[in-house]
Amino acid sequence: MPAKDSVPGTILIAALLCVVCSLAVSAAAVALRPYQIANEVLDQQKNILDAAGLPTDEFGKPASELSKNEIDNLYTWVSEQMVDLDTGEENNEMDPTKFDLVESATDPTLSTEIVPDPYDPGEDRRPKTMKVYFVRKNGEGPIRQVVLPIYGKGLWGTLYGYLALKSDLETIQGITFYQHKETPGLGGEVDNPAWKAQWNGLKLYDENGEPAAQVFKGPAPDADPYSVDGLSGATITSRGVTALVQYWASEQGYGPFLKKLAEKMQQESAEADTASVSRPTNDLSAEAVRRAPLLTDAARNDTRSNETRLSDTLLTDTLPNDKLPTTSTMKVGA
Amino acid sequence: MSQKPVDVLVDPIVNNNPIALQILGICSALAVTTKMETSLVMALAVVSVTACSNLAVSAIRSYIPSSIRIIVQMTVIASLVIVVDQFLKAFLFDISKQLSVFVGLIITNCIVMGRAEGFAMKNSAGISFLDGIGNGLGYGFVLVVVAFFRELFGSGSLFGITLMELDRNGGWYAPNGLMLLPPSAFFIIGIMIWVIRLNKPEQIEEA
Amino acid sequence: MKPLRDAFDRVHPLFAKGGILEKAYPIYEATDTFLFTPGETTEGRTHVRDGIDLKRMMIMVVVALIPVTLFGMWNTGYQANTAIVQMTEADVPIEYDWHNTVHTAIGLGHDPGNFLDNFVYGAIFFIPIYVVCMFVGGHVEMVFSVLRGHEINEGFLVTGLLFPLTLPASIPLWQVAVGIAFGVIVAKEVFGGTGRNFLNVALTSRAFLYFSYAGDISGDKVWTAVDGFSGATALGQMAVVEKGAIESLSQVQYVWGETGEISWMSAFLGTIQGCVGETSALLCFVGALILIATGIGSWRIMSGVVLGVIGTSLLLNFVGSETNAMFEVPFYWHLVIGGLAFGLVFMATDPVSASMTQKGKWIYGILIGFMTVLIRVINPAFPEGIMLAILFGNVFAPLIDYFVVQSNVRRRVARYAS
Repeated sequence: MPAKDSVPGTILIAALLCVVCSLAVSAAAVALRPYQIANEVLDQQKNILDAAGLPTDEFGKPASELSKNEIDNLYTWVSEQMVDLDTGEENNEMDPTKFDLVESATDPTLSTEIVPDPYDPGEDRRPKTMKVYFVRKNGEGPIRQVVLPIYGKGLWGTLYGYLALKSDLETIQGITFYQHKETPGLGGEVDNPAWKAQWNGLKLYDENGEPAAQVFKGPAPDADPYSVDGLSGATITSRGVTALVQYWASEQGYGPFLKKLAEKMQQESAEADTASVSRPTNDLSAEAVRRAPLLTDAARNDTRSNETRLSDTLLTDTLPNDKLPTTSTMKVGA
Repeated sequence: MSQKPVDVLVDPIVNNNPIALQILGICSALAVTTKMETSLVMALAVVSVTACSNLAVSAIRSYIPSSIRIIVQMTVIASLVIVVDQFLKAFLFDISKQLSVFVGLIITNCIVMGRAEGFAMKNSAGISFLDGIGNGLGYGFVLVVVAFFRELFGSGSLFGITLMELDRNGGWYAPNGLMLLPPSAFFIIGIMIWVIRLNKPEQIEEA
Repeated sequence: MKPLRDAFDRVHPLFAKGGILEKAYPIYEATDTFLFTPGETTEGRTHVRDGIDLKRMMIMVVVALIPVTLFGMWNTGYQANTAIVQMTEADVPIEYDWHNTVHTAIGLGHDPGNFLDNFVYGAIFFIPIYVVCMFVGGHVEMVFSVLRGHEINEGFLVTGLLFPLTLPASIPLWQVAVGIAFGVIVAKEVFGGTGRNFLNVALTSRAFLYFSYAGDISGDKVWTAVDGFSGATALGQMAVVEKGAIESLSQVQYVWGETGEISWMSAFLGTIQGCVGETSALLCFVGALILIATGIGSWRIMSGVVLGVIGTSLLLNFVGSETNAMFEVPFYWHLVIGGLAFGLVFMATDPVSASMTQKGKWIYGILIGFMTVLIRVINPAFPEGIMLAILFGNVFAPLIDYFVVQSNVRRRVARYAS
């Protein structure tokens, strides 16, 4: 072995060290990768479920307090779909599991420039295709909720979140921001559960179909179906949230997709109505029972009888979420 | 250089605390101390990195060519930090998300580097290991104390368990927003140094 | 006065060195010298800058603050009563608290045209804040004096009045207590007590509250002493519009559905909403005259701030902006809105935390003026800038002095060398 301070010795030691260290690092990275991916997926699932309000409806607590098993079970209600924003058509060529929002929003081939008029979310680009989420109770045909990823500038940085719509595609179910840099106590109150709860039941569009949901400046008037209270002392965050919600609801955002989806759902419900007699509901709910071990026998009967009711009413009018019969039955099982 | 193992382990916690006396590693102490949970994990990460890097550097110290010794130390530390980071991402995902880049920044934490260069290069492996643990604990001790006050007054809770119900959730406690901002850690560390030096006047620097 | 003097002299041995109440000497000493001129005179070369007694100096500042304080109380009541009358007319629900109970118990109403109604209602808000501040701050100071065995200084008289004047009347009292305790401990006692603080104590306390409980001090419903009221301050209003900052002031939205107007004259006189003592630029100017006439406040610092504000706002007017209306605000508006006048007269001139060299005072003042406008115009989060600007200036003051002294030294060395 050459002397340690000689040139060959130095090179030898350096080379050995590099080999050993890179082995250690890559071994750790490779061995732990599956766990990490599972974690990331789970984390995203929690955010989506929270936006849809499912964990609080079913278990009475936010997704962060649920076990992995419970999340997995709940998430079987959610299906992912890529959508072309410009046309509003579903895009089945892209793999929704490979979608990365930040990457798609910056890559010039995957994104388009945002026209800041009339709605300015403060961002430069948006992806051409976005991943959206449909929430159906297991076995239910019609969609119960749609969860849309949204983002836009606040005061200090970009707010990333999800907006959940009820099945009429005009009423907001919930909103959640999973990543932001707003000031704690002021703009940071976008995380406040009490404030987020105000979004439930808000109308996203006015009579003319224009995006109207907004964060009011100051306390929102009681009779106003479009406004939630302003965040006290956080004018710019409030304005940012309004701008990003309205942008994504507009023609430049999910507008075309939501229109197409509404037509499609109308069609399906019409078909379902005519075919309701011959519709094999039993098979479907049997499937649901197999996949949702949370249900007890009693609950199983309930769901089955409710199912037909649901499919009849769901598309013609919004069901207030707390009236959904499944809520109580799920709690029995849980 | 013959020090008692117990002293090497315990000394850096109060008497020769890397943050309070040497004012090292402040950056991460500001960033990760809004919650007890994150700062405890951060402390553990730093303990394991300083201990292992001290051990590794000390074990190979007689083979390290002096011309590239800093690079060698950096490589060892960087590898250890990446491994720790990977472990956190795999098993403590929520916390590693909150710690974000600060786990990676342990690489630049002067405490780790300082101990490797200042202690491990001159001492045997066993005692270097203890020194690493001791210094990591000293750092962790400050982190946990800071986090205790920041979480208690900033969020009314400890380890995420609500002790004082916040007014926005219908309770009585109005949370202190400053405690959620990094500068509050400066105040708390400053007051800690004040208290330590009141009790240990020998730590006061000559003006 | 003689019996009182005798009484003091009789108990003096108890507090003197070796007496049983030796520890409490600072309390005795403070009471004594507050009432009587101190018996001791300073020895040695301590009068570096001025021979004036610290206590008399502090009292003069308090005197200069009296017009602002009295007006502040009236204006607090006036704003509240105006809001109450308007809100009652518009059927906006008002939640009254104990302030109103006391007010009606005295037998007064809410007529904004009645001087007594306004003044007393304002006083009912201001005096508790002041009392809490003096009580808590004074006791913190006393504890440290006793622990360290130094004397209690009248410096706190000024801090204890300045701090409440920078608060909105609706601030919860416990926050006043927490704020002043933090300010006295962290800005002053940590560094060794009166005269050693490099930050202005009142502003440090306010900054602490500002960042800790932002909803109560920088929010949008705190500026008037009526619960349920919501309106923006002049700066808050201008910060949110994209164009026509000044024009927007003629249409300030109130909760009762009307729009009001903030004119330059009302901002100058101070009949607008704001923190208790900050609204009237005119009376701050009166205070400035008192401070300058008695030689306590530095006219260099005050002029420096004004120059900084004028220069910076002219520059920003010239630069202009498409999206930020604050760019077009002229300097004469900057000088009368927000707490600028109050800050520049009473806070920036704090002799302990300001620069001490003559040239340094100019630089220090200009720096504060520059930062104030910069924060107001460019920073989206903080509509008001003077508080942060002065604290910023405080931090730089010793450095400015250092360079001024160094350049002096260099000049003299050069002169003697030739």
